[in-house]
Amino acid sequence: MVEQRYFEQVDPGDEFEEQWTAETPQVAAYVEMNMGGAGAASGRFTSQEGAESVGMRKPIVPGVMSMCLLTRLVTDWMGPQGKLRTIDVDFRRPVEHGDQLRALGLITDTEEQDGAGIVKLDVYLENDRGERPLQGVAIVELPRQ
Amino acid sequence: MTTEQPVFEYDRDIIGKQFELGSQEITRERIRRFCEVLGETNPLFTDDEAAASGPYGAVIAPPGLVYSLQLGQGPDAKVVFGQATFHAGERAELHDVVRPGDVVTARQQIKDVFAKTGRSGTMVFVVRRTEFTNQHGTLVAAVEQSMVHREVNRG
Repeated sequence: MVEQRYFEQVDPGDEFEEQWTAETPQVAAYVEMNMGGAGAASGRFTSQEGAESVGMRKPIVPGVMSMCLLTRLVTDWMGPQGKLRTIDVDFRRPVEHGDQLRALGLITDTEEQDGAGIVKLDVYLENDRGERPLQGVAIVELPRQ
Repeated sequence: MTTEQPVFEYDRDIIGKQFELGSQEITRERIRRFCEVLGETNPLFTDDEAAASGPYGAVIAPPGLVYSLQLGQGPDAKVVFGQATFHAGERAELHDVVRPGDVVTARQQIKDVFAKTGRSGTMVFVVRRTEFTNQHGTLVAAVEQSMVHREVNRG
């Protein structure tokens, strides 16, 4: 359930998370929806054979899809009146099909800018091998109470 | 200590040239399908009734829908270096909302091509900036994407 979050409610050090398993049907649906014209180039995202043909041990999740899941973490947390201003993500290693992931957010700073409540967050995906395939920073504007 | 400049080739004339990638109408159905696939539950993106009393008076597209758009082939820097290419990073700026029925146009340029040498060897980065505008010419989002070319260890 997505609830509205207000600037006055958040403090540096606050954390939140969502769980996500990168299932093949979901990845295939994303690739079909957004990369329909990518042809053979998208094989590494959808099949074992396609992954092995480019030297990967398992099919992987498109980087932008993983970024969309980190974005969802933030937009779910901030609620309908929040505004995502920027999200800046580094791709450090592949997200593989079947990975069980935690999407995590950590508030690192809060400040008022021209009356707006600005919150800075570290965001990352952590897999079940203890690795962080995606790591980044998001800037959000939250409404005031 | 002298630093040897890594040798790589690319098309220097392409830097900064704008290419129009194409346009797409963001229908209500497109938003619904994106939310279904990504598991979005924020009523601002999924619930017409709830969103009607929200900050925009209607459902809007989730930010990820915009930066997932692939509207055509962008410019090619023709980098000659290494055997592998990876997606290194992506930075999205969200400037305005996208509503059902908006027509989004993407324009892309290559901002920079540069090499870095670290512990794992030399890597060549290509930075592309894509700007998304709506049918009124308003910038709704911009994305900077870094791709890295590198040599593969064959040890």
